[in-house]
Amino acid sequence: MATLEKFVVETTVEEEAAPYRKIVSDIISDLGMAGRIAKIKVAIRPEDSLFQLVAVVRGVLPQVILKDFAEIQKGGSEGEILITISVEKHLPRLLQMLWDRYGRDSLEQPDRWTISLIVDNPEEEIGSLENLVVDDPRRTLKSNLADMAIRVAPEGFRVRYHSLNGNDFIFVASEDTMQKEWIDEAHTMLEELKGDDASGSSA
Amino acid sequence: MPVAAVLEPYVYEGGVHKHGLIIELLEDLGGYLVQSTPAATEINLVMLIPRKDVPLMEELAKKILGKLTRAPLTGTEIAVVSPTLAYHHLPHSACDVAEHLRRDGANTNMLGLARGMGRRVALSQDYERRLINEHDIAVYSFGNFSDCIINKKPKLFSGVDVPIVATGGPDLSTDDVEGADVYVGGIGRVSHRLRNEGEMDRLDVLNKTVGEVVDKLREEISRDPLAVLPARVMKEIKEQVPEINDVLTPAPITLQLDGTRVKLPFGQFHEKLEQLELDENISLSDVANIMPSKMKDYILIKIRRRSETGFTV
Repeated sequence: MATLEKFVVETTVEEEAAPYRKIVSDIISDLGMAGRIAKIKVAIRPEDSLFQLVAVVRGVLPQVILKDFAEIQKGGSEGEILITISVEKHLPRLLQMLWDRYGRDSLEQPDRWTISLIVDNPEEEIGSLENLVVDDPRRTLKSNLADMAIRVAPEGFRVRYHSLNGNDFIFVASEDTMQKEWIDEAHTMLEELKGDDASGSSA
Repeated sequence: MPVAAVLEPYVYEGGVHKHGLIIELLEDLGGYLVQSTPAATEINLVMLIPRKDVPLMEELAKKILGKLTRAPLTGTEIAVVSPTLAYHHLPHSACDVAEHLRRDGANTNMLGLARGMGRRVALSQDYERRLINEHDIAVYSFGNFSDCIINKKPKLFSGVDVPIVATGGPDLSTDDVEGADVYVGGIGRVSHRLRNEGEMDRLDVLNKTVGEVVDKLREEISRDPLAVLPARVMKEIKEQVPEINDVLTPAPITLQLDGTRVKLPFGQFHEKLEQLELDENISLSDVANIMPSKMKDYILIKIRRRSETGFTV
């Protein structure tokens, strides 16, 4: 957790912040997100059934396109496309996409680096495959952030608001009807967190 | 005569090799084997040993390189109640609480309420309350906010007649938590396993507190003793209902302070249990109420007191 530039947890009763801080840090570690979050602030007011979390995430990596890590060419047989990959970590996701698109019967893996694909129109397919988006870290981050926030928030707080705008993430949860001022408050919290004069002591 | 007066609860931990000697000695001494849990080459035996014979057992345990420790919660069935079964409450800290109670010999059941989460919306159902009431004690595992524990969560206690031990993060006094018999602080919501020194200390405090509640219950029972010891009922079931040996749950017959839970289908076996012979002309139905349990289709036996039956077996 040392990589976080700012990590603030505020609760109505000051002594109750420390255990909650531990919950937040455990969940961030569990989800492997310590490196992705730069600053985070959590505020909880149990008496109002209110939970607010604001975070600033680090710069997001660009999309991974198939041609970035693979060579795509026509194969020896009719209608065959050979995809030769150079980075194996994207393979499971790529295979899933190809299975969904062409069906399992059209695909073969002669070895761990090669995928042989039989299609009706290889020239056209090669063009569209080259620009296939295999991984979108931004989308993954968004779902991970929402997952983290839901895990951190008290379970009964099922009325939720969340937004990811650029690198800014806001999450507000309650068990009562969502109030606009709570969301506005969270936006102010975020501005304070981003600025140098972040209020609240690091619990 | 009450269990605590003559029989002492102990757990033997050792290798599987020669553990049969322990069981043989226990039978010779007139003790009861409550539960046997083998794990690869190790075995745990939870036993009730006649008090005067404990040194004999200790000597044998030492000889076969095992360990005999007192397990004060033996013979109790405790419900560990968590507001829900979601990852906010489980496996930590509710499962850690249950595991620690088991170390002292208790049988625990994890009970996640369907709608126990939140503050205003938290509630328990009739079925859940009845299920909790089948246990000796209910341990409620709450969170970190005093406002919730003091003002909102106690409504989950309503309808629960068994003693309630509440756990939570903040250090509160029992008087603050309305409806709880005891409150133990320092065990609130966590997302990691409770294993560091401070956390283990709190779990030890919890076990001690639950032990005190059990002692009080045993004392209350000793004033008007049970017509037959639950351990004796367990022994008779093992001998007279051979089907119990085919039940694969860890504790096919779970002892309670004033009864037992038998993990056989009620419809098929309740008559057999009612006719279970305890002594000449005395069957189990003469000294106990045999009823369907709220847990699966198990059988719940609650033993009547001497004041009701007029005799003890």
